[in-house]
Amino acid sequence: MIKSLFLIALSFCLTLNAQAANLKPFTANTPTPALKLTDLHGKHHDLKDYKGKVVLVQFWATYCGPCKKEMPSMNKMRSKMGDTPFKILAVDMGETEAEVKQFVKEVKPEFSILMDESGQSINDWQVFAAPSNFIIDPAGNIRYTLFGGVEWDSDELINKLKALAIN
Amino acid sequence: MNLKTLITFLVVSTVATLSNTSLLFANEVKTIEAGDTEIDIRIFPATGNTLLLGFPCDEGKSIAEEKTARSLAEDGIEVWMPDMLSGFMLPKVRSSLSNITTDALTALIDEATKTGKKVYLIASGPDTELVLRGASNWETLNKNSSLAGAVLMFPRLFKDTPVPGKKPEYKTVVGETKLPILLLEGERTPNRWGINSLSHELQKNGSPVKSKIIPNVRGYFFKRLDANRSEDVVTSQMAGLIKVSLFYLQENNTHD
Repeated sequence: MIKSLFLIALSFCLTLNAQAANLKPFTANTPTPALKLTDLHGKHHDLKDYKGKVVLVQFWATYCGPCKKEMPSMNKMRSKMGDTPFKILAVDMGETEAEVKQFVKEVKPEFSILMDESGQSINDWQVFAAPSNFIIDPAGNIRYTLFGGVEWDSDELINKLKALAIN
Repeated sequence: MNLKTLITFLVVSTVATLSNTSLLFANEVKTIEAGDTEIDIRIFPATGNTLLLGFPCDEGKSIAEEKTARSLAEDGIEVWMPDMLSGFMLPKVRSSLSNITTDALTALIDEATKTGKKVYLIASGPDTELVLRGASNWETLNKNSSLAGAVLMFPRLFKDTPVPGKKPEYKTVVGETKLPILLLEGERTPNRWGINSLSHELQKNGSPVKSKIIPNVRGYFFKRLDANRSEDVVTSQMAGLIKVSLFYLQENNTHD
């Protein structure tokens, strides 16, 4: 009996974890909004230039606990994606360069941190939560969304993103 | 007056003041019939001409909310905190909001207006829908009277999950009332960029709407367990923040 209860509890926990990592398919029939921003090093990025790649567009902020927690897994995600054409564009939501630079020094993200002090892209993408994640396919369409933190280097997520590059 | 008389006078007057204060700010509970149910309202009485009717769905159990209510009462603003969830035997989940009837909300507002005080409504997050729903119906039933205004803190009034590239859609009740509204939003939340769009929608039926951004705080800062220093400071000054909000709404009424 105790063993059965333990197994039920374990399977419940595993289900919760699997659900937490779930990307939600994006079904709205709307074009992907523009995303043209400059990163912390002054390099200009236009989402359109990344056609042919799977792109994770993330809206985050230094005050967001889950954002900070998941960034190391985003670093690992990049190496786990291997040869799959893949790019992370992490858009900071309206903070100052000084705040973001301090955060970067501490957390050490190994991907592009884009700055949007005016909040234009946040409005265009209708961001209402931090972090908000959008997975863009190689054709430039939003295919999945994910609101809230997640461990990005999980096999489940990596396989889903790799599959997107093939399809 | 010798020293002994002076000390006796001071002790007696201090005890008298304290006992009066505790009576004046005692927490009363009033039960009202609201449609098919009964709602308990915790009342923080005050002698002033202003009444703030709050819709804390969690019965206002947050220490910050209770402290704020007491502080406002001390400054002459009477505060009513109805326990909507218990009245409808609902769990503390967001979906419970839709089970709170408009009739019950209207009955509460009616009861508040019977005091003869200027009635302001206040709620935060998704509970702001209750304020708009209650006010809209109350206005329909009371064409010749008006409420003084509403403070909506961190309003979360999207109909569904917002879609990138698409104009946001709000709950149907947004834009139905004529109530003067003040929106408060934290600087450190992405929702601050949506405040203009929400203001615009709220004005559709003639509501004068103002919005203010609270610097250095996240949404729901007064309920956060990981509150930072700025959030702690603003939480401790919540009563002041609400009084300033009521001032903005009064200013609006004066200009009308």
